[in-house]
Amino acid sequence: MARELLRRLVSWEGLLLAILAVIVVVTGLAVPGYLNPQNQINLLELSVEKAIVVLAMTFVIVSGEIDLSIASVMGLSAVLVAWLKEQGVPLEVGIVAALLVGALCGLFNGYWVAVIGLPSLAVTLAGLIGYRGAALLLVGDRSIGGFPEWFNRLGQQPLFGPFPLALIVFAVLLVGATVLLQFSGFGRYAYVVGSSPEVARFSGVRVRRVKLAVFAMSGVVSAFAGVLLLARLGAVRGSTAEGFELDIITMVLLGGVSIFGGSGTMAGVILSILVVLNLRNGLALANATGNTQAGVIGALLILSVLVPNIVVAARSRLGRGGPAEAAVIPKLSDL
Amino acid sequence: MRIKHSASLSLLAGLALVASACGGPAAAPSQSPTQAAATPTQAAATATAGGVAKATPGQSVKMMLLPKFLGILPFAQANKGAGDAAAELKNSTALAFVGPTADNSVQGQIEFMTNAATQGYKVVMISNNAGDQIAPAATAAQAAGVKVVAWDSPIPSAKGENLFVAQVDFNEMGKVMADMALSIMGADGGKFAILSASPDAANQNAWIKALNDALKDPKYAKVQLVDTVYGNDQSERSYTQAQALVAKYPDLKVIMAPTTVGIAAAAKAMQDGNLCSKVKISGLGLPSEMVSYTMNGCAPQFALWSFVDLGYLTYYTSYMLATGAIKGAEGEQFEAGRMGTFKITKDPTRSAGLRVLMGPFKIYDKTNVEAEAK
Repeated sequence: MARELLRRLVSWEGLLLAILAVIVVVTGLAVPGYLNPQNQINLLELSVEKAIVVLAMTFVIVSGEIDLSIASVMGLSAVLVAWLKEQGVPLEVGIVAALLVGALCGLFNGYWVAVIGLPSLAVTLAGLIGYRGAALLLVGDRSIGGFPEWFNRLGQQPLFGPFPLALIVFAVLLVGATVLLQFSGFGRYAYVVGSSPEVARFSGVRVRRVKLAVFAMSGVVSAFAGVLLLARLGAVRGSTAEGFELDIITMVLLGGVSIFGGSGTMAGVILSILVVLNLRNGLALANATGNTQAGVIGALLILSVLVPNIVVAARSRLGRGGPAEAAVIPKLSDL
Repeated sequence: MRIKHSASLSLLAGLALVASACGGPAAAPSQSPTQAAATPTQAAATATAGGVAKATPGQSVKMMLLPKFLGILPFAQANKGAGDAAAELKNSTALAFVGPTADNSVQGQIEFMTNAATQGYKVVMISNNAGDQIAPAATAAQAAGVKVVAWDSPIPSAKGENLFVAQVDFNEMGKVMADMALSIMGADGGKFAILSASPDAANQNAWIKALNDALKDPKYAKVQLVDTVYGNDQSERSYTQAQALVAKYPDLKVIMAPTTVGIAAAAKAMQDGNLCSKVKISGLGLPSEMVSYTMNGCAPQFALWSFVDLGYLTYYTSYMLATGAIKGAEGEQFEAGRMGTFKITKDPTRSAGLRVLMGPFKIYDKTNVEAEAK
């Protein structure tokens, strides 16, 4: 079973790599300017905040939960920094406050999920609405801008060579997240909790603590990404980052992380980020409309959820799989 | 197992191919061939005469018309005007009319602006819906050799903007709205509220500010602005915002919506609620969308300019800027085809930036709306 799983994961990443290669080659040939290094930096920079949250979201989904509130936390943190600046609070203090609030949002989600035992879908859906509401209450319908030059420069200018701060941060976090998920005790706990909380409990894993930590991480990383987004845009309003959660979850699932928890790798996730961003950039450079882009990415997601399950179902019909494998086919209530 | 995967691989690869293929050159909006006839004066006009620059037709300039979002009539009209100018100027490179969806306007515009240089555009003509959030991307585009010409809605700080083609004088707009409010309410005055587009819409924000300034005139002493709300240029949201205004202010007399989406949604909300005898709608509207509301008294008076002309002038200005016929400096004069001569001046309605002023307004009411609605 474990070898079977490993083989499946390896081939999923192989598949993503092949898709990425096709996208890069086809777009490179068809769309002039796509392979231009500045364009490659642009395509990452335009979505780097989402990519950063994808890293944290991977932990959440691996441990068998979901966090729909991430984009609202991003918006709330960006709005909070701007609002505090308006109240005369120094920007540095405002940023720390926003990160703390992000952690609190995450812990609040985690409390209801891990301690009380409510489904994360419901809890974080409430978070999605509630945290967004808080952001809208703070700024109303206004747009706040006018940040200090150093802050705008960090968000908008290259910092090291052609790379802006956010890309460097992403690279560092990517290495950190890979080590944490793939090579640390905490990462192993996350997998065990995700594949079976019962087994995890009987093996002495502190399930609550793992889940709380995962949600807190999701909150604080989202808040941090919100601050980076604020620096890049130079202005914020209540609806900033609205709808980002769908893109973020798409990238995690396309990366081969099972929506039921317990499986998936950081390598798959990074490949998926590259697939989505390159595909979207190629479509945008070819002047495809936003609806077309959304349609293509949506089709990819559907395939990424369907293909593994079709494979499992086909195998079980051939008499080689047991009932446990058939159960991997998603039920509506689980989505 | 292996077979399954290679099958799914080819399926996905095929999808990527289709996706790339459908975004190929065929996807770029091309001009209708029926608009080919150029006026004879354009074809002959090349040199500068008497300090008035003239365009040199027939050059190939890759240009992008980037509205706030796609899918509403004024922007389609602007595209038509730009297409007319493109045909007159015999630009062999087709104009790209692209834009984000209304719910992704800010992010989408930043993305288009960022990608413009990579795509080889020489000019981006933008109706800015991202406030100053577009400025970093616009500045980067300029650094990469792209001219940025704002139209309809400018970049508030003018950072990253070469020129702004203004439909009307933004301060004048404030007076026009104040006058319409006063004329609808009559000498006794009363309360009115503003239903705007999105909070980042620089044009609407400037007009609202101008309206507030205009209201300080003693002439409007009895005209009282009680609230400003935002419908984000989405019909449904504008509709509910209009209903909410009426509920919140029972003695409200006028809703002023300086956006074509907002004014039509508000008029419909009043009509649906049988409130037209109590609350009148005014602002900026398209005659074709407003004609029934004007005739039945829900929206007795509204204003607008020609978006076709605005698109035409914007294209002309941008073409001349990109081909070097004008430099985009203060004091330059140029001839814009059928619309005549224009001058680049400082924008008196912003603290920075240069402006080309189109004008004028047209006020619509029962007497003239039907003729224009066709």
